[in-house]
Amino acid sequence: MKYLIPVFFFILLAKTSVAQQDLLSFDEHNKYIYYQVENMPGIPADTLEQRGLKFLKTGYPKILVKQDNTGKIGGQGKFLVYGGISVLKHEKGEIAFMVNIEFKDQKYRFWLTGFVFTPYQRDRYDNFVPQQGVDIPLEQGPAKLDKKDFDGYLDETGAFCKQFGERLKTCLSKLPEAKKAENVKKVVTDNW
Amino acid sequence: MKKKILLLALFASAFSFAATAQDTIKTTGDAPLVISGSVDTYFKTDFSGKPNIPTSFANENNSVSIGMVDLGLKKSVGNASFVGELSFGPRGQWQSIPNEAPVTAPDGSVTGFSSYHIQNLYVSYNLSAKFNLTAGYMSTFIGYEVISPAANFNYSTSYLFTNGPFQNAGLKATYTFSDKVSLMAGIFNDTWNNYQSNGKVNTFGAQLTITPVKNWTAYLNVASGDVSGTEYDLTTTYQITTAFKLGLNAADFTAGAPYGYSGGFTGVALYPQLAVSKVVTLGLRGEYFSSKTGTYAPVGPKPGESVTGITFTANVKAGPLTFIPEIRFDNTSKSDLFLDGSGNATAGATQFVLAAVYGF
Repeated sequence: MKYLIPVFFFILLAKTSVAQQDLLSFDEHNKYIYYQVENMPGIPADTLEQRGLKFLKTGYPKILVKQDNTGKIGGQGKFLVYGGISVLKHEKGEIAFMVNIEFKDQKYRFWLTGFVFTPYQRDRYDNFVPQQGVDIPLEQGPAKLDKKDFDGYLDETGAFCKQFGERLKTCLSKLPEAKKAENVKKVVTDNW
Repeated sequence: MKKKILLLALFASAFSFAATAQDTIKTTGDAPLVISGSVDTYFKTDFSGKPNIPTSFANENNSVSIGMVDLGLKKSVGNASFVGELSFGPRGQWQSIPNEAPVTAPDGSVTGFSSYHIQNLYVSYNLSAKFNLTAGYMSTFIGYEVISPAANFNYSTSYLFTNGPFQNAGLKATYTFSDKVSLMAGIFNDTWNNYQSNGKVNTFGAQLTITPVKNWTAYLNVASGDVSGTEYDLTTTYQITTAFKLGLNAADFTAGAPYGYSGGFTGVALYPQLAVSKVVTLGLRGEYFSSKTGTYAPVGPKPGESVTGITFTANVKAGPLTFIPEIRFDNTSKSDLFLDGSGNATAGATQFVLAAVYGF
């Protein structure tokens, strides 16, 4: 039993560590893709599109959004990936991506793809900044990046996509909550 | 039963670990306190058996020596941020911070130099997405090479680096006009490499950053002050392909007049680098450095003389560790800078360095 527990523990850890990479698939062009189709019962396409646009503009303001009012929204963005643990955790690079969202009555689909990694390097002011001119499509990662680092970037990409999808679903499925008036506790000093 | 509960608990904890990891991706918001830095050590030998090439760092002959422990702290909250970078060891103390008080033995002889070990200490505020103000003691904006071995390709340093400023204390404003042009202008203390001024804050500094084409950036720099002198500097890098990068540094310095100096230096260095695999990059530094006629004596050739240096360097990466084998050939215009094996003046010097730098 004393050997069984560590074995189980490491198997589970290994399984969970690859789980986030498994969120990504390859598309027909052999590019990494995160693809989801979701049902939105009772919500028309134009409402979904308006909510989707608002979601990108407020939730991910740095994404360059392209919208043509044809039931589709496209955009380009990037997110940071980190290395190290605890306080030693710092930026290792950034991953640029393309996002596409398409709306129909009572459903939508979206996918994130075109992931390109740019490593960060330390500059003279002790900041980590993009390494100019080094752009590595994630598909080329195994040949150009350290395996451990690459696995970490895939994990973070999967986690980012999953989080993006969850936030998008939440935003599309409900109206924004009305701002609640704050209850301010007041004391009237005229009264004893 | 107890074993089953234990296994279930392990199972649940492993899954909660996975779920937590997915939720910890920060896309916006304030960054936590970050610690980063490096540690470096090296072996160096001069082929003549005498310590010869006088540029900064790695000066001993036939010695396994240490560089420094470099610790950087930084944090950003909203538009405000700070960086504090401390260094401990010869490279980050008396070899690069030359203004600190001497440490003396009981007999009065100087045994070393103390320092506060500060490489960077500044605060910064973004007034807008395009306009930034920064104040404190900062790595200089001039030149190609830096003190930190983790941010340099070559381990030894150029004459241009050794004779230029390492740090400037002052206040600077940077405005980004577009993703192709930005301008920094600032007012700095009267002397370089000092934590405080000698009574005046009168060195003007400016940096025009231009990105003419994608992956090519040029920095046009000037630092000019009554005491510190005037240095014009061009630093540029062009990542021509994913594997090949070309860097250039050219500078001209005229010494400050108040101390009665005349002269200065001028020089140019070229830095081609080629990544031959995902772990190995080969590079070369070719430098020509000339000391102007006058009373100012830079580190290196005497006034009116010059030196040429060719350095072949490799960077071999093993995770966070980088091995840097390097061979360097320097040659002067007159046979009076270096020593041969017999201790006689000679025109050329050759050295070999094998350094290991761990970045974290």
